[in-house]
Amino acid sequence: MSGHCVHVIRVISFLLLFKSSFCLYEDQIGKFDWRQRFIGKLKFSVLDSKSNVKKIFVATEENVVAALSMKTGELTWRQVLEKGPQGEIKFMHADSEVITVSGNGPFIVRGWNLANGYSHFEWNSFNDADEPHENVLWTYHHGKLYKVVMLDSQQVARIISYNVRSGGQLAAYTVNIPGFSRKCKAIGINLVCLSNNGELKGVTVVNSQFFNLDVSAETKGANCDLLSVDSSSDLPVLAIGCKQSKLLVAIKDNTFKALSETVPISAGVSVTQHVSGTHLIVLSKQIDGVIKVNGKVLETDQPVEDIQSSFQSSSPFSDIETSNSLCTLRRDRSVYCQILLSTVDHSIIFAQTSSKIMWTREEALANIISVELVDLPVSDIEAAIEKEFDNKEAPVDIGVPSGFVGMFLRRLTSQLLQLKSLLLTVVSLGESVEKNGLEVDLVRDEFGLHKLIVAVTSVGKLYGIDNLSGNVVWQKYLGEMETYKSIDKPVVSFYVQRTSRHLPYPAQCFILGKHKASDESMVYTFNPINGQPIGDGLHRLGYRAVQSLLLHFVDDQFLKGVLLLDSKGGLHVHPESQTALVSEHAKSIFFFTANSESGLLVGYTLAHSSLEKLVASEVWRIQLSHKITGLMSKSPLERVHSQGRVLGDRSVLYKYINPNLVAVMTQAEDPIHKNVLSIYLIDVVSGSIVFSIVHKRATEPIHLVHSENWIVYTYFSDKSRRTEIGALELYEGKTQSNTSAFSSVASFDSPIVERQAFILPAGIEAMKETITEKGITSKHILVGLNSGGILEIPWMFLDPRRPLGDIREEGVIPYMPELPLPAESIINYNQTLHRVRAIHTAPSGLESTCLVFIYGLDLFYTRVAPSKTFDVLKEDFDYLLITAVLVGLSVAAYATKRLAQRKALKQAWK
Amino acid sequence: MELYIVNFSMVLASFLSFVSSYEINEVIGAPDNYVIEGKVFPPEAVNDNSNWQAETTVLLKGGHQMGFIREDGSFVISNVPSGSYVVEVFNPNYMYEPVRVEINSKGKFRARRVNYIQTSQVIQVPYPLKMKPMSHARYFQVREQWRATDFLFNPMVLMMVLPLLLVMVLPRLMNDPETRKEMEQLNNLAKYDMPEMSEVITTFFATGDKQKQKSIKSAKKSKQGSSNN
Repeated sequence: MSGHCVHVIRVISFLLLFKSSFCLYEDQIGKFDWRQRFIGKLKFSVLDSKSNVKKIFVATEENVVAALSMKTGELTWRQVLEKGPQGEIKFMHADSEVITVSGNGPFIVRGWNLANGYSHFEWNSFNDADEPHENVLWTYHHGKLYKVVMLDSQQVARIISYNVRSGGQLAAYTVNIPGFSRKCKAIGINLVCLSNNGELKGVTVVNSQFFNLDVSAETKGANCDLLSVDSSSDLPVLAIGCKQSKLLVAIKDNTFKALSETVPISAGVSVTQHVSGTHLIVLSKQIDGVIKVNGKVLETDQPVEDIQSSFQSSSPFSDIETSNSLCTLRRDRSVYCQILLSTVDHSIIFAQTSSKIMWTREEALANIISVELVDLPVSDIEAAIEKEFDNKEAPVDIGVPSGFVGMFLRRLTSQLLQLKSLLLTVVSLGESVEKNGLEVDLVRDEFGLHKLIVAVTSVGKLYGIDNLSGNVVWQKYLGEMETYKSIDKPVVSFYVQRTSRHLPYPAQCFILGKHKASDESMVYTFNPINGQPIGDGLHRLGYRAVQSLLLHFVDDQFLKGVLLLDSKGGLHVHPESQTALVSEHAKSIFFFTANSESGLLVGYTLAHSSLEKLVASEVWRIQLSHKITGLMSKSPLERVHSQGRVLGDRSVLYKYINPNLVAVMTQAEDPIHKNVLSIYLIDVVSGSIVFSIVHKRATEPIHLVHSENWIVYTYFSDKSRRTEIGALELYEGKTQSNTSAFSSVASFDSPIVERQAFILPAGIEAMKETITEKGITSKHILVGLNSGGILEIPWMFLDPRRPLGDIREEGVIPYMPELPLPAESIINYNQTLHRVRAIHTAPSGLESTCLVFIYGLDLFYTRVAPSKTFDVLKEDFDYLLITAVLVGLSVAAYATKRLAQRKALKQAWK
Repeated sequence: MELYIVNFSMVLASFLSFVSSYEINEVIGAPDNYVIEGKVFPPEAVNDNSNWQAETTVLLKGGHQMGFIREDGSFVISNVPSGSYVVEVFNPNYMYEPVRVEINSKGKFRARRVNYIQTSQVIQVPYPLKMKPMSHARYFQVREQWRATDFLFNPMVLMMVLPLLLVMVLPRLMNDPETRKEMEQLNNLAKYDMPEMSEVITTFFATGDKQKQKSIKSAKKSKQGSSNN
């Protein structure tokens, strides 16, 4: 009984430990962390002119409905709808409330409060069995929502009108549109279709009145498409977009009116109301990175000088996709327009004519696919010191003579520089702080906490983000490059070839992507500190790369090469100058390829290559029976500090630390066991399957973390309807086969595998382990929950050696099936993060601290200290108290000494 | 199976008679689609300016389907086929308990507490759902404030106070003959290893003015000895 009691107390004390081991104080909000919220690429937008606080209502490709403040571009409110096609927004309208139609199949119609984003109403519209889900158009007019279902087979459009608030069906009828198949758009109250021979046909959905237009000859027959033009006026305008240009057509009084002039296809067009029943047409174009805006009166073709303006910013703009504008007349009869532009690189720009750009939003950041945290270069002064000690660079800085005189001179200059900077900091202590706030000082700090986040987005735009402030330092749009797809996710290969430690060489990064127009691969090599290209910059390779590999050795310029395998089995080294070096190391280079569809894994070696030619020869081949859905190797940065763990009987259980171990996940549908999840641990050098495990009725979401000698994976158990976490731990046994280095080739009995499963009472979106520089700090696992929180679970809680019975071991907590979810271990506190895609962890210069960058729809950066910050003084360290105590004690010591002396003297006289 | 889009006031309908209080607006031929309804109650301390309705979301099947909250806290999740689902309410500042809602193939609803360990245990909760906040989410550690007790139990203070106590109280205790005996015994035990150390230190620090120190010490000792006796 008492033993049980002790047991309980131990559990409680561990829970307390769990709680207090890492959490923030309330006054630390925003001190180490920042969050940025995004909405994604613009799909629909309405500029609101009526309400007091002017807003822009937007709906985006990320299934987000939001209101942006017109003044600052910040989010007033945001509602994130369902993920994927289920939440895809098909239509948005805003006047007295925001109305959205989303979904794919049953459509969900929702109404939102303009001011704060509350839900007003929600109802469903189901399709009849014969109605396709894809070809449904929506439009709104005077409190009625019209649904237009295009029935291809019967060449008719079925129009259903609903009461927008209740969802009650008001009327349903069909209209015949023979010969007009897919190219239809619902614009205003009209359904407009473009036929293949260039004829435009419109029908009013309210009363099914038809009208026709034979479009001018130039658009006929060409591969033209119907585009709608954002229009905040009563005049519906559409565009017929062909290869180079587009023709604008207005609908007025149930007739089409083609406008005289064609505009380039990449120009943003919008139409707004103007004085006395006329309309303004605002065109915006990107020319050499500058946005040029001009406008004219639609009815008279008369240009409006007032709104002619051009905008530019520090980074060039890319082509405009959509535009939306709102023009108002000033008292002095001059016109000014507010223009909302969305560009092909997913940024949103809001500008005022004859003024400037009000704000821009980098919405590409809502779709980051790969991230690296790059060390910043040292400051100039430190660089000078480094130069002094680095003799190798002697030929680089010509002008300074070598020999001891030169050395002496260099020492003098660098010390003078140091003195100067010291004086400067002392003199302008207050000013420098202010200056730092304005312009980013990209210099490495002493603890390595200041880094640059280099992010690659799915649209092919690169960003350099300061990790302390969250400001974008540089951006670069690679228009020609697009991403590869792997297991339904966009991927690029992104490597750091050289860090900024190797002066005078700049840091270098490498991105491998796909050329947009062809099948070829593209490479961009750049300096991650400023985004500027290095060497060839962005270039095509001339072949399709199927596998890439960052090599583990550096050349004389400290550059790590990248090995590329092309689709024909040829090997290439990037940069090519490293080919000889690679053939030198060929014996130690192994790599493997995995085909996710066929489940085939093939391992190769370069051992058979000669000095002239690199040859990849197959070593092993594993055919897994199902589709590969996940593949996880260990982080190449990882270091394992302790080689084993001490057991209760003082013996050591050695860890099985195999750097070549890769966890491969396959998923299959099975008639009996439903969804079968298998995990294989494969040594990719020798090709041996070290261990495998099968879970039945395990479905998405599945996540896997692989580190040190353990693997943690999560799945949703269909059988018990809960999220389960499986943990595997591998041990060599009580003796270590090789104490100095691990060898995949040396014969070794299969490792001892400990396993355990836990229940997590929440859904999981992403998972990652913390990493520190030397691996001394204990590991925690960061779990992105569907609630929008990031939970930090100590590895201790997922330890497969947690004992079930009364057996106790040091540092092991008794097993409990359900893992706790304390609010204190939510590292992003109330800063909810939507749609977490991945968590990136990176070591800092401090062993205790791990830098964490979380991306998805929102970005969040923070740092965690899994074993508390044992290597720095706490930030609330009371310097005053310690000084006071020290001073007090020394005064007391001195005083008592005097007193004792006096007493001794008195006593001696007695 | 037919779909019922239900339009019904939750507050007025009593729980027992809710089946009969359905008012069927419309029947659409889509099979096996139900609507889960409920109401999220605001945290009590909420002030009118707070935007808790917009911040709170209701997730079904871990976000596969979602419900959004109206001004009065009510929500609907539509297009739900029959099955068993966990309905979770998330607010950045308040914690809500999840509820498992089961819809059988006949369209009957049952709501029960979520128990991930004993998955078959049924503790029913009322349906339509009433989601009440469990607690304020405490994300932060409370910074320690200056308190007298903290000060007293501060190791530094203890270090100073305890010897003082020993000096003041122990001599009085010694007057009691029995405790004195015990203490002597203890002293003997302690002497076994303790005095060695002090001697080592005194010899180590012994310098030129050894004589003087010794004289002081002996004086002290003699004094102590007298008090002891």
